[in-house]
Amino acid sequence: MSILLQAQHIDKHFGDFHVLRDVSIDVQEGSIFGLLGPNGAGKTTLIRTLTRITAPDSGIILFKGQPLTDETRRHFGYLPEERGLYRKMRVWEQAMYLTRLKGLDKAKAIANLNGWFDRFNMQDWRNKRVEELSKGMQQKLQFVITVAHDPEILILDEPFSGFDPVNTEEIKQEILGLKKSGKTIIFSTHNMSSVEELCDDIALIHKGQNILYGATQEVRSSFRQNLYEVIFKGSKVAFANAMGYQFEIDSITETGDKLHALVRSHTDEGSRLLLKAMADHVEVLSFQEKMPSMHDVFIAQVSSPEPSSDPAQDAA
Amino acid sequence: MQRNIGLIIRREYLSRIRKRSFIVMSLLGPLIMAGVIIFAFWSSLEESEDQKILVIDDSYPFFADLEGTSTIALDIQDISLAKAEALLEVSDYTGILYLPEKILANKSAQLIFKKQPSFRVQRQLEERLQQYLEISKLKEFNLTESDYRRLKAPVTISTFQYQGPGQDAERADILPAIVGQIFSILIFFFIFLYSVSVMRGVIEEKTNRIIEVMVSSVRPFQLMMGKIIGVGAVGLTQFLIWIVLTFTIVSIGQTIIIGNKYVAGAEPPGAATEMIQEQMHAENALSLTQISADDNLFNQIRRVNFPLMIGLFLFYFIGGYLLYSALMAAVGSAVDSDTDTQQFVLPVTFPLLLAYFLSFQVFANPGSTMAIWLSIIPFTSPIIMMIRVSYGIPSADLWQVYLSCALLIATFIAAAWVSARVYRTGILMYGKKASLRELLKWITFR
Repeated sequence: MSILLQAQHIDKHFGDFHVLRDVSIDVQEGSIFGLLGPNGAGKTTLIRTLTRITAPDSGIILFKGQPLTDETRRHFGYLPEERGLYRKMRVWEQAMYLTRLKGLDKAKAIANLNGWFDRFNMQDWRNKRVEELSKGMQQKLQFVITVAHDPEILILDEPFSGFDPVNTEEIKQEILGLKKSGKTIIFSTHNMSSVEELCDDIALIHKGQNILYGATQEVRSSFRQNLYEVIFKGSKVAFANAMGYQFEIDSITETGDKLHALVRSHTDEGSRLLLKAMADHVEVLSFQEKMPSMHDVFIAQVSSPEPSSDPAQDAA
Repeated sequence: MQRNIGLIIRREYLSRIRKRSFIVMSLLGPLIMAGVIIFAFWSSLEESEDQKILVIDDSYPFFADLEGTSTIALDIQDISLAKAEALLEVSDYTGILYLPEKILANKSAQLIFKKQPSFRVQRQLEERLQQYLEISKLKEFNLTESDYRRLKAPVTISTFQYQGPGQDAERADILPAIVGQIFSILIFFFIFLYSVSVMRGVIEEKTNRIIEVMVSSVRPFQLMMGKIIGVGAVGLTQFLIWIVLTFTIVSIGQTIIIGNKYVAGAEPPGAATEMIQEQMHAENALSLTQISADDNLFNQIRRVNFPLMIGLFLFYFIGGYLLYSALMAAVGSAVDSDTDTQQFVLPVTFPLLLAYFLSFQVFANPGSTMAIWLSIIPFTSPIIMMIRVSYGIPSADLWQVYLSCALLIATFIAAAWVSARVYRTGILMYGKKASLRELLKWITFR
């Protein structure tokens, strides 16, 4: 797989405010890239530099190895966080206008939009004015407008905000479908479960810096805390006795005849030793390492006073 | 990319043209304007409702020879006013003209009417009386009427603009200046209404949050210029509709009125002009002077240099609009809602308002230093230069027109550049109210 979009050493000020400090990301073709970070971290500004809405003070954005031009815009589909539509315009007219602004000729725009309108059951309301639509319908229309010109790369800023669970699921499936058809997707979100579910790679932006960056699974495992989840049958005392000095029980709860324990290991070889220690004393029903969720990683990174991070990324 | 600006212009244009308010304004405007014109025309014909007036002459038969006009019949009688009033009740007299005995001393009479006669009837009666009194006085001084005609020496001054040695001086009339004043008022309203419309359009895109989608597809500059051009085209369309419709309605209205009032073959169209001329020469009661053929209203209108005036009108109309709408687009981008605009709209439109109010002074004194400066400064020139040009500009001062035009173009380009820079930052800024200092900072952003 090759790199489709690259941001190299992006720096951006708004007046005295240093919004982005030397941010670099590589987005693989055909992957889903998650852009995480608390509010005000600089995600939207980064996205705006990726979409060529604002120019960085320094640094460069490369699309297929080339700097962005007016022409490259048509390969981008952008759904901003603050998204809106012309309220007085009719649905179809609006979709045509915005799709044609991406460089499609009339016939192609009609064909593409009809396809998407059929798919989302939108044909019935194509002559309605946007202000007559419900919020969910407007969101669907916005999504259709983002993808109708068949862009190679989709940049979605908080795509799930404002959607109900059913629509969220529908959009999730669309995103996965687009990935399957070879599209590259970048999205920013606060919804950490969707990150685990969808993203191949992530970057965590905090105070304008890229403090955590890599493949989702690697990031998660780099934050492993040697925590194990054990479900067993037997006596609590026997279990505690089996732990020895290398292990520490975080919590233990009883559900029916089963016991549920969280065990912290003081060594990195925890799993082998722990299994061995337990085997003679209790009946182990299930055993797994408890990986930190993206939610945990996010909280841990963002709330720590000094962003501890991968030294390679900490160039600022 | 050229195609995009075309798409933007098209949307801005069509979305406004289709609005109900545009259609209503396009119909209502001409109806009102045509209504005013037709009413003025109609009322000038109104007194053709014949008057039959009973004249009570207290010094009978002093006024016995007083004559009426084709539409005002006079019946001179030696009866008391009370009796006449009683008579008015039962007869077909439309009014009583009471000439008291003291009329020779205090020169005042009374007209008692059943139905208010037109102003014209009143003035025609005044004229007749004045004429009658003057002629009767001639006898007192033993003069003949032809002596009097020679005695009275009405003078009219025709004004000519010096064009330089060896060149024919150009006639300068008041009427072309009025045309210029009308043009400049039109320019003022056009600039004001449509540049505000541009600003509202920008605010609408911002508050609807469509702007970010737009600028991911097109450059902010294209969006701004597309809007300015699209809205300007709407203005020109409306203007054209107004002119065509007003002209059509007035023509139809005139035909209907004339058709009702006159038998075919009569010669009515001068009626309105006649009235104006009558007013202009009301002082010369004896009407001994005829307005020199050279000086009548139609000749004055004919002398207006319409190709030049219309050419310059379009130039200042469009140039002024472009300049102000570029600035207003920047204002729209800097605020979040219509209610926040005051702080910026006033400073931006101040020169425009100033020019409008000073235009009346320029009208009175088109050669003043103030007029010259205001007609060159691009923020006021669209309004002021029209008035100066309508008076006629001496060829020695033609450079001022060229300079004014060039400055307007240059200022527009500069304003568009500055506005575009404010605009592309402003449209993405929400929440905080931008100060003027901040706007200046935005210009320097990369």
